[in-house]
Amino acid sequence: MGYFWALMMVAACTAAGLAMAPRFDLVNIAMVYLLAVVFVAARYSRGAAVATSILAVAAFDFFFVPPQGTFTVEDIQYLLTFAIMLAVGLVISGLAAHVRRQAEAQAALNVEAETERIRSALLASISHDLRTPLAVMSGASSSLAERGERLSGEEREALAKSIFAQSRELSERVAKVLQMTRLEAGSMTLARDWASVAEIAGSALRRQRERLAAHRVMVEVPDDLPLVKVDATLVEQVLENLLENAAKHTPAGTVVRVRAMREARELVVSVEDLGGGLPEGDVDRVFAKFSHGAIGGPAGGIGLGLAIARAIVRLHGGRTWAERLAMGGTAFRFTLPVEEMPAIPAETAAAAP
Amino acid sequence: MTDPRPMVLVIEDEPEIRQFLRTSLAAEGYRVAESASGRRGAIDAGSHKPDLAIVDLGLPDMDGVDLIRRIRAWSPMPIVVLSARVHEKSKIEALDAGADDYVTKPFAMGELLARLRGAMRRAVRPAAAAVLVLHDATIDLERRRATRAGRDVHLTPIEFRLVAALAKHAGLPVTHRQLLTEVWGPTHANDTHYLRIYMKQLRDKLEADPLAPRHFLTETGLGYRLVVED
Repeated sequence: MGYFWALMMVAACTAAGLAMAPRFDLVNIAMVYLLAVVFVAARYSRGAAVATSILAVAAFDFFFVPPQGTFTVEDIQYLLTFAIMLAVGLVISGLAAHVRRQAEAQAALNVEAETERIRSALLASISHDLRTPLAVMSGASSSLAERGERLSGEEREALAKSIFAQSRELSERVAKVLQMTRLEAGSMTLARDWASVAEIAGSALRRQRERLAAHRVMVEVPDDLPLVKVDATLVEQVLENLLENAAKHTPAGTVVRVRAMREARELVVSVEDLGGGLPEGDVDRVFAKFSHGAIGGPAGGIGLGLAIARAIVRLHGGRTWAERLAMGGTAFRFTLPVEEMPAIPAETAAAAP
Repeated sequence: MTDPRPMVLVIEDEPEIRQFLRTSLAAEGYRVAESASGRRGAIDAGSHKPDLAIVDLGLPDMDGVDLIRRIRAWSPMPIVVLSARVHEKSKIEALDAGADDYVTKPFAMGELLARLRGAMRRAVRPAAAAVLVLHDATIDLERRRATRAGRDVHLTPIEFRLVAALAKHAGLPVTHRQLLTEVWGPTHANDTHYLRIYMKQLRDKLEADPLAPRHFLTETGLGYRLVVED
């Protein structure tokens, strides 16, 4: 590319020079060539700059330096002109390369700083999120081991149950951290296959039924919703994370609604709550996590769940956003692209009622 | 005199996990044998002839899926797999290789025991029951008749075949590949969309709430599980 421009610029300068020749000194025509050298040197590689210099010198010599039409040089001073053109080409291309390198290094530094910021926010929230269940587990289990005989059967059972519950919690958090790490490293590959959002929603609700036991769960999925080609395990996780988020932030007895609908070439899947869990400031922070992937803040583990949901949806080529509902409550929505599904051979008997 | 208690062979490299399995399974009336490696497990499965094997998919010396294939080459013994979330893919391979069921670590003991019972039932069941009872629906696989809430329900031949394929492993997960091969044939082993459409039809016809199924359960990314009343 640079060499092409080297040729073009020198040709243009020669044309300009020929037009100028009757009225301008040779020195000024040399300046025009110098401009070409500067232009190419600033934009393209050092090689292209040197090539421009050499081409410019050759063209200047051939067309303008007497005797014209030959490469012979009568006046020795033009050799100096040639040397300077070459030197300018080298110096400018060197400077330009330096500036380019610096810009690249700065960009890399910025990315690194951003990654580092996310990583430390992640670490801070992780260590808090992991320590709490660990503290409960070590406390409760040491009570059982060291002084179990002094506790009533009911107390022992309560301690053992809390160890179980906390170990589950811990395991889920560790899984989330690992997954976020994999998502950020870009090492996640999608196992895409035809899947039904209705099925995925049913399975996600089943797996989250204990968390949602105190809520009123509604599902609205139209009967003719098309299948989508997605990694069903990951999409189920998106829904589970959104349901978990809804369960954590809305009071018992309120409605949590899962909805899916087709809009043009995509499905819009939503988890909506009808009510008043999050304080104003928190709504914005949680929304930001879902919409922009911002991590950190005291909502730690929750933010991670939403960030993971967002990353999975993006990996599928979908969008995520959150909005306030007119009648109160919030909606977390994501899209999944709809593709043409291959036909299924009709079963003759299927037509019978 | 032989010990009437069923014997479980635990093939697991982590001593802590073997220890709590030993304690908990013994308390439930099982005899427990242990193998600390895959190679050892392959030998022990032959010499002990256990009633069931629990195979950890994360064995360091051998691929758990290979181990299952080796056992399956000579024995129909029930096999339940212990898998971690990172083994999502090998879980499917393990089921395709002949494992009966799985639990994902960490698991509750009740969950594991239920899986063990389900896998053992498959081993002693002579054949799939001819009549399935699903809450208010019944399906007579032999006479090809189905009813729900006392009314006849029309099932297509493929729908019957699908129910039969699930019923053969009632209570256990059946992978997409297994179902597609059995119902549509090996050339359709990857046509998962067939299954999605037909499972929806089955649920619409036989489940009280098709969006929250109680019998035709989805094992996301893996397959389906038919839960029937005992």
